[in-house]
Amino acid sequence: MVLKFLRKWWRIFLMAVLLVAAIQFFVRPPGLPLDQFAGGVVTSLFRPVYESVDFVRQRVSSVWSGYIELVDVSRENAELRKEVAELREKVAESRDAVLENRRLEELLRFSKTQGKQMVGARVVGHDVSPWFQGIFIDSGTGEGLETGMAVVTPAGAVGRIHRTYPDLSEVLLLTDSRFAADVIVERTRVRAIAEGMGGNLCRLKYVSQTQDVVQGDRILFSGFDGSMPKGTLLGTVVSVDRPRDGLFLNIRVVSEVNILSVEEVLVVPARPAIPFRGGKP
Amino acid sequence: MRPLLVLLALSFAGTAMNVWLLSGFLPWFLLPDFSFLAIVYSGLFLPGPLGLLVALPPALFREVTISGPPGSFFLASIAVYFAASEIGRRIFLRAEIFILLVVAGLLAAESLSVVLLLVLEGGNPFSFLWGAEEAVRIAWTSLIAVFLFMDLSGRWQRIQE
Repeated sequence: MVLKFLRKWWRIFLMAVLLVAAIQFFVRPPGLPLDQFAGGVVTSLFRPVYESVDFVRQRVSSVWSGYIELVDVSRENAELRKEVAELREKVAESRDAVLENRRLEELLRFSKTQGKQMVGARVVGHDVSPWFQGIFIDSGTGEGLETGMAVVTPAGAVGRIHRTYPDLSEVLLLTDSRFAADVIVERTRVRAIAEGMGGNLCRLKYVSQTQDVVQGDRILFSGFDGSMPKGTLLGTVVSVDRPRDGLFLNIRVVSEVNILSVEEVLVVPARPAIPFRGGKP
Repeated sequence: MRPLLVLLALSFAGTAMNVWLLSGFLPWFLLPDFSFLAIVYSGLFLPGPLGLLVALPPALFREVTISGPPGSFFLASIAVYFAASEIGRRIFLRAEIFILLVVAGLLAAESLSVVLLLVLEGGNPFSFLWGAEEAVRIAWTSLIAVFLFMDLSGRWQRIQE
């Protein structure tokens, strides 16, 4: 009877088993030996994806700057077209390099001012799903990166390393709902827990209605939970609501870093003080 | 072999395009989930072990490019394959409206499951605007599926004949 049932509906049965396993994988803490094995497979699979992505990006960028901008210039300067085109072409060729150089110099300066050795990395991809917010960077366990390490830019924090592979890491952005960290308000030193809420926003939790937090306040990581470097900028308060029935303020913070436009980041290679569990410290 | 290569190419190109386009060019809800489409197609139209073989690479692509907990999206994608395979065997009719309903239904079911798990975990990043955007993504991906699946299944049929 049971065998007959299973023979007829084995696909449904298998689907249920897979879904239960998927849910188990969803809620378990990362770091099992299976993850290390999967890491090798993942890196070899993802490398061609981001290499082809990088190749197309470079080509489109050179076409954009080398052709389309020249068309604009020629329209505006018909008499000097040839001369301007030559100059523009040279500028266009070097513009990307100059901008990249400037960004890297800024990262280096920031790294020195922090007094810590940091690992620089390039952003090579973005999470494609609607549910999570993550980016991929081109440094991994080979450079000594570990899960839980903080990822920053001179403008502010970006997130934390979520998964590492030999030469690739996945960064959980601070706007992802699984991100949480201890923060303080710069002006009044009020403490709170920052949690990602999608888009470019975070919310501050557990701030009492009596506390002094206003729009425009800058929010810094406190470093008390050991998950992010103390004093790193999270963002600026954009709204503070005082609900009539609630105990706490509803505070929204916009991230200081425009995460979609970040191209290079720095990883702070300090082990998190508290073991990293699935995004939340 | 041909279905495997075509669907692998479709899945790879779609995934690579999405990874690149997300870098500030297009909002996420305008990007169809090509890997998901390749998995559903293999479940609906490709019989036996060939279907499962074809579904494996796009399932791995999804695992790689979605920053969910390790392993969860690979298993969920294979579960989607078996769901599509069961639908294909029992109730599926090769018509545009069925393709639209099946793809939209599976996408919505997956999305609701992930949202439910995240909410149960304590996070709540979803708003009315996010819901509207997700509806656009589901509708857009399902519409593309109709044209893609009809075209591909027609081509396989002609090759088999």
